[in-house]
Amino acid sequence: MSLTHLNARGEAHMVDVADKAESRREAVASGRIRMHPETLALLADGELPKGDVLATARIAGIQAAKRTHELIPLCHALPLSKVAIEFRLDEPTSSVEVSATCRLNGRTGVEMEALTAVSVACLTLYDMCKAVDKDMEIGEIRLESKTGGKSGDYRRQAMSSPIVTGASRHADPGLALDTAAPCIHIKCLAELRERLGVSDIDLPFDALESADIAGLKAALTAKDARFAGLNEGRVLCAVNQVMGGDQTPLTDGDEVAFFPPVTGG
Amino acid sequence: MIRVQQEAFDVGVEQQALLQGRSDIGAVVSFTGLVRDFNERPEVTALTLEHYAGMTEKALEAIVEDACGRWPLQGVRLIHRVGCLAPGDPIVLVVVASAHRRAAFEACDFIMDYLKTRAPFWKKEHTASGNYWVAERSSDHQDAARWEEAWNN
Repeated sequence: MSLTHLNARGEAHMVDVADKAESRREAVASGRIRMHPETLALLADGELPKGDVLATARIAGIQAAKRTHELIPLCHALPLSKVAIEFRLDEPTSSVEVSATCRLNGRTGVEMEALTAVSVACLTLYDMCKAVDKDMEIGEIRLESKTGGKSGDYRRQAMSSPIVTGASRHADPGLALDTAAPCIHIKCLAELRERLGVSDIDLPFDALESADIAGLKAALTAKDARFAGLNEGRVLCAVNQVMGGDQTPLTDGDEVAFFPPVTGG
Repeated sequence: MIRVQQEAFDVGVEQQALLQGRSDIGAVVSFTGLVRDFNERPEVTALTLEHYAGMTEKALEAIVEDACGRWPLQGVRLIHRVGCLAPGDPIVLVVVASAHRRAAFEACDFIMDYLKTRAPFWKKEHTASGNYWVAERSSDHQDAARWEEAWNN
């Protein structure tokens, strides 16, 4: 694996593609712009002051794809055969998902064109909506798939959450390595992690109302209201990787994991 | 032998390894669990399996130990995969060897029932209509409870 845009001396150079075989290339990129729900509603109803937001952002994305070589220093100018920009309004996350597909028969890939198209479409969405919402946030701009060419096909894995969570920070849970501040190491796993938006957190041992799981839950809830979710639905817990319950006693340095009912096999 | 891994496994190779050099084994039962393309929703396109590293191995060891205490077993292999899987992919393998078939059949059944209700694995299904975490099933708990009753009688 090497960086093709660097020559033998490590200097930037444009790759000579004259001898590469022509093939059909396609790349799909995506991105997202989050906004206030009211902004999304205005956008959906076409009531924003600058007019048709999505149509404008679509044209901006297409133009950007065609001009990628003017923006990204070592990109070639490409005769794109297709540029398509799609928008999906996602109410649950209050965001607009943007995706761009670029295609050509040629000697170099089109992923930079697709990524540029998504980026500029998102920037245009920002520009079109900024009069009513300055908190908008652009993110998750990434390549989804790429076909054709020597390096082979690429497809982003469907997975967005970590494959394996909950790996112990300490080789032996229950053995406190950090003697400075006595605390309890708490983990939220799987669906609970996503629901509460918390993965790992440490809590000083003396914050516990009582030295057991019930006391830990109360201390967590007092610290952050989200942890009230620990008492909603069926939430299991393990202390030092052994199943426990509300009455399980805790000592300094313990590892406590909260998780939903298991669904393996 | 217990393994938690992302890679696929080969049922034949695992069974062979369990039987290698043994002539006292009279029965070997193996169970392979696969990813279905339908579950709570149709058109499952992928499955992500998450686990609690460390606790998973301990829980699986405890289940196998429990099985060894209930039946005269001569060998157990238990492999569970984690990570991203596609429909048709094998997820879990249990191979149980014993002198006689009844013990092997029952122990294999028992290990799967306990694994489904006690080992910290979580499945997230990816479908055309979105991703969701799989919910627990009461039938799995009923299946596991059979062994409590059988043991207490």
